[in-house]
Amino acid sequence: MKNVLYTALAIAFCLGLGKLVNHFIAGLPASLYGMIFYCLLLQLGWLSPNKVAHANQWIIKHMGICFIPAAVGVINHYELIKHHGFTIVISIVFTTFILLTFVGMVAERYLATSNDKSIEGSN
Amino acid sequence: MLVEWLNISSITAANIASTLSLSLLTLLLYQAAAYLQQKWQFIWLNPMILTILVLIPFLLYNQINYQSYRQATQFIHALLEPATVALGFPLYQQLKTIRRYWQQLISLLALGVIIVITLSFSITMLLIHQPDIAISLSLKSVTTPIGIALTEQLSGDSSITPFAIMIAGFSGALLGPSWLRFINIRSKIATGLSIGAASHVIGSIILTRQDPSAGAYSSVALILSAVLTAFIIPILIPFLMMFFT
Repeated sequence: MKNVLYTALAIAFCLGLGKLVNHFIAGLPASLYGMIFYCLLLQLGWLSPNKVAHANQWIIKHMGICFIPAAVGVINHYELIKHHGFTIVISIVFTTFILLTFVGMVAERYLATSNDKSIEGSN
Repeated sequence: MLVEWLNISSITAANIASTLSLSLLTLLLYQAAAYLQQKWQFIWLNPMILTILVLIPFLLYNQINYQSYRQATQFIHALLEPATVALGFPLYQQLKTIRRYWQQLISLLALGVIIVITLSFSITMLLIHQPDIAISLSLKSVTTPIGIALTEQLSGDSSITPFAIMIAGFSGALLGPSWLRFINIRSKIATGLSIGAASHVIGSIILTRQDPSAGAYSSVALILSAVLTAFIIPILIPFLMMFFT
């Protein structure tokens, strides 16, 4: 319970910091600034990874519920889906496979070999 | 009886009862859907999709418009911000892996992000001519909380983004591994990184079941791609927009 409070306060603090930065530099959404601060404070050891681990996992496991209010908005897009639904799905699948192919081929060419070497080297 | 009670409260929209009942209904439906998925372990039994499949007919039947639903469930949406901050923890956990070859990883994934945003945005603008939809679709390879946050920041349509993300996730997760084998990509690092970059959490979960070490690479790619997208997209979209106005 103490750790839950600790995690909640840590996240609230980072989000507050994120909002502050977002107020002055509008580059990223406040929550993303918050995420980077949270990661940074964990890395610097100012926040204890062990204390947040459990509650944090719970949050990530259940965060899906937060998407529902936005996603229900699709209710207003009947026309769009009727006219362009097929096009949209095809273009999403097409670009997904382009990305898969690009990252896969480059990683296979440049990272896989050096990685394999490092495995051989370590053995 | 619960339905009747919800019915009555929906007539007097925007009062406290409807706020509570709609939020409670959303919570209950989601919990039930998550329970079903846990019980049967089917990845395609997605809790978000299941919840929406029940919620939308319910809202239509009771003639509750989206604005009142959105207002009633505002606090659930507001939780998205702290939940996104919580993603800093997996990012912190991946830092060690990233540090080994961060330059290669960042340049590869940044290039991937630029390619996929440019392609998705341009294709959508050419075929559908709606900037808000194009922004949503260009965020389809990002994990959902960050995708929604970025959509709202760029005034995209945040109701399309979760579905686009879902389609990218399932298509790449289910067909991606066979496609990669077909084009002769076999190393764990290449498979993991590409599935994580293209199909985020859904891809990562499915890949981890098949091969945990490839799955670990996909978690790296998904979190790093999301952060890179956050930095790249606010510059890239206004630039691309110039070609379509």
